Amino acid sequence: MKRHSRQGGGIERQKARWGWGFVLPALVFFGLFSFYPIFNALYMSFFKKNLLSLAPPQFIGIGNYAFLFRSPEFWNSLKASAIFTACTFSLLVGVSLLLAVFIVSRKHIQKLMQMAFFSPAVVSSVVAASVWLLIFDPRGLGNQVVNAILQTPGVDHRWLASATMLRLSTVLVYFWKYVGYFTIIYIAGLSSIPRTLHEAARIDGASSWQDFWYVTFPLLKPTTLLVSVVSMIQCLRTFSTQYVFTQAGAPRGPIDVITLSIYNTAIRDHQIGRASALSIILFGIMLLLSWGQFRISRSEDVSYL
Amino acid sequence: MSVISRSSLQNPGSGGRLPVAPRSHLTTVVIWAVLGGMALYVLAPLVFMLTASFMPAKDVMRMPYPWIPRGLHWQNFWQAIRGNDGSFVYVRNILNSIIVATAITVSTVLLATLTGYGLAKFPFKGSKAVLLFIVATMMVPFQAVMIPLYMIVTNMGLQDSYGGLILPFLVNAFGVFLMRQYLLTFPDEMLDAARIDGAGELQIFWRVIVPNSWPAMATLAILTFRSQWDNLIWPLLVVQREEMKTIPLYITRFASEKYTDEGAMMAAAVIASFPMIVLFIALAKYFVGGAKLFAARKG
Amino acid sequence: MGRLRLGCLCVLGLVVALAVPTFGVELVFWTHEDPNRTAIEEQYIAEFESMYPDVTIRRVTYPSAEIAQVILTAFAARRGPDIFNMETEDEYPYIVNRRVAPVDPAAAGYADLQAIYDDYLAGTLDAVTADGKLYGLPLELTNWCIYLNKKYFREVGLDPETDYPKTWEEMVSVSEKLAIRDGEILQRRGFDFRYPYYLVSLLPMVEQLGGSFLSEDGKTAIINDAAWLEVLTYMQEWGPNGNNLGSPTYTNARKLFNKDNNDVAMCLSGLYQIGRIRADNQEFYDSGEWMVVPFPVFEDAVNDYRCNYYGHYYMVNAESSSENQEWAWKFIAFMLSHSEEYLVECGLVQPKNSLLASEAYLSFPYSDVFATDMAKSKMVMLHEANPRFDELLKEAVESVMLTGLTPQQALDTLRRKANEILQEG
Repeated sequence: MKRHSRQGGGIERQKARWGWGFVLPALVFFGLFSFYPIFNALYMSFFKKNLLSLAPPQFIGIGNYAFLFRSPEFWNSLKASAIFTACTFSLLVGVSLLLAVFIVSRKHIQKLMQMAFFSPAVVSSVVAASVWLLIFDPRGLGNQVVNAILQTPGVDHRWLASATMLRLSTVLVYFWKYVGYFTIIYIAGLSSIPRTLHEAARIDGASSWQDFWYVTFPLLKPTTLLVSVVSMIQCLRTFSTQYVFTQAGAPRGPIDVITLSIYNTAIRDHQIGRASALSIILFGIMLLLSWGQFRISRSEDVSYL
Repeated sequence: MSVISRSSLQNPGSGGRLPVAPRSHLTTVVIWAVLGGMALYVLAPLVFMLTASFMPAKDVMRMPYPWIPRGLHWQNFWQAIRGNDGSFVYVRNILNSIIVATAITVSTVLLATLTGYGLAKFPFKGSKAVLLFIVATMMVPFQAVMIPLYMIVTNMGLQDSYGGLILPFLVNAFGVFLMRQYLLTFPDEMLDAARIDGAGELQIFWRVIVPNSWPAMATLAILTFRSQWDNLIWPLLVVQREEMKTIPLYITRFASEKYTDEGAMMAAAVIASFPMIVLFIALAKYFVGGAKLFAARKG
Repeated sequence: MGRLRLGCLCVLGLVVALAVPTFGVELVFWTHEDPNRTAIEEQYIAEFESMYPDVTIRRVTYPSAEIAQVILTAFAARRGPDIFNMETEDEYPYIVNRRVAPVDPAAAGYADLQAIYDDYLAGTLDAVTADGKLYGLPLELTNWCIYLNKKYFREVGLDPETDYPKTWEEMVSVSEKLAIRDGEILQRRGFDFRYPYYLVSLLPMVEQLGGSFLSEDGKTAIINDAAWLEVLTYMQEWGPNGNNLGSPTYTNARKLFNKDNNDVAMCLSGLYQIGRIRADNQEFYDSGEWMVVPFPVFEDAVNDYRCNYYGHYYMVNAESSSENQEWAWKFIAFMLSHSEEYLVECGLVQPKNSLLASEAYLSFPYSDVFATDMAKSKMVMLHEANPRFDELLKEAVESVMLTGLTPQQALDTLRRKANEILQEG
């Protein structure tokens, strides 16, 4: 890679070397503990193998993929994942930004509010799942609260029974779990915008809205991209909520997200080849969506100078 | 309302008045209503957990739920710590969780900041591809990599040890991504100034980047700690001796079908949440104080 | 100076101790957690180790909801334990794939294989028999009967001793009397099914009416539509779209039964529930306000089948060394020889003839009810595709109870999908 100016070339190359230097330790680690298992899964997806069988795996080329694309269950999983992700993702990104802005605007209760919204994270997932199951029990809080608000005593809203309500229930639980995460990420992003900038805007007579839109939001772009990509991946990766609900007796169809399907294919049906193929498909979807998001927010190099 | 001009942004010191933006009552009401409603939604299950930890199991499952416990049923906590077999192994489990989560958090924050810095401030060919590669590792569900990972760790002989619990999680993709995004907005002229002063790259990292990135590092620390604290599947596969088990395994044991005592389970969960709360309070000042640090340093 | 010398000696001693090669056998034993059983089995380990000083046994427990996954992962990585146990349906694929070793009668202390079969109740070893070899020894066999709360019966004017439901039709009328509702919401249910376990409790209902899941030759699924339709219609009328007597979405009945909180009057459970009542709610246990009655039968039943039984069998890893396998069977037989202790301390019934005739068993509360029912029932159906069949049954029942499909539609889907699975082979 020859550079045109010799002086520029030296600095550029030195920077590149340092760049690689900083990145190398993590890459080595990822190589062993992340890339290798992933390539293993990719390799496995072209074979038919029963987890318990001692027979060698049978090469079937794209057989697993063909089976999946022809299977109505697979398309159902895709639909379930899509619905869940669309709802939860929009809620997560939108509401956590809103909350972060509100919290930052009220300095004196900031610590308390942060703690409050982050608190679902201090509860173990196992316990949280059992608590939410009790809430969604027909006799539980879910019905009690909604009936009190809507003044409809004795109505069972079928939290875990009807397809729509069941999907809503999973969204409610997942959103509850993760809204705090993304709120504090946004708060960190907001806090890195120096107050002097906001002060300057105010001095120039900007309203809160204009301050937000012209100062905060552009500088928040890297954080927003982070939140958007990560929350979308998280939503597509959802597993334990759906798993716990189906174990407790809820119908599987409406919430049979792809990760649940992968788990069942591997652990229940012992078909590791097909499960790997499903994982690769999910991986492909996430890659595509993330790449799309990177493209949309092309102007990443935002700094206030 | 005057339009904000780029020039006034670039001359922050202009003007002498103190900025006061009027806030309408409606905005305040809306803000409080939203915050309040969300807070209730978010806190209700926790209040349930806390109050349930003080009730005997009979009352926990009662419908409608009696929010106020009839008395402080401390036996739940005693039972939780003592364990169903009277071995107090929970104390050791808590210690294990603390050791593992802390080790992983420290190494993750360090490595992620290092890597994120490399990706953010050193434009080398292929850095975008490296970032995408790393982010891509977040995209594979754990079930798909579980078995190969298990084989790697057992082949290294690390099962049933702290090494096996810590090693696969030394750094994670989310951390790298977070730090990279955060460091993108780090002012270049501070780095250049340090270089001109003759500081080496590593010195710049330690003396300039790290002390000034607390908001993101603290955020990453708490999120990483949290994921590890709650990790169930990996310790389940890798740990065999009771003394090496971590908290989620212990709690799952309590919740396991054959011996449910819901009150004690909630008590165990309450105990397990203390370190998280302590950590959060300890780190919270960095979230809040971050802005001040930044502004002070800049000015 | 003295301390330094002492220190050196210690280090030397440690080095020597570590350098000496360890002889002897180490057995790794994985099982699900159960505090009572852990207590007695740790004792047996100590006794066995003192009888055979060269043998060490490492016992590891896992939560029962997760153990199948852990063992599967370990076996997939070819690092499975020497001894393990899981529910019969989960153990079956291990037999099919030849991952477990056959019982060694001599090591287990029997004259020959037939002696083992003679020791156990007829038919209870069929689940682990394949190709003329035996692959496991039973830790427990369980079937379910109806537990009922006497207080609630009397409250609604029923005499628990005589008015308990003997047929499924009576179950509907009795539950209706016991149910307390607030609008659509059932505050107290009379009875409710044990929902996800359809292979165990729903299939017998179909078989009572003359239907079955698989044909004799195992090639076709869903035999006798009329029987299936009757059962699916029954479930539809049980649920929220019918008489609203129960639903899979309520907290399961056996969890609530012990609390005696006016949540549910009856539940379906095994002998072990008795121990749990005592552990969960000593008052309720002592008050005697509960009893056990047999599994109901349809009025127009053609077969008197009761609830299927399932169990846990101790098995040995086929990839363990032959020496380990021998010691494993020896140890398993040693543990299982204490069948009375397993019953009294843990509520686990081994189907050994000697136990079923013993004083301990006969005097155990309601053992006669369970035993009579077990004599009229069969082992739960075992097939490699069992988990998927279970899912299909779940889907069928839920679609008629919750989604509003007609029994005919649900049956057609069930039949189609089950046969597809059979064709996949």
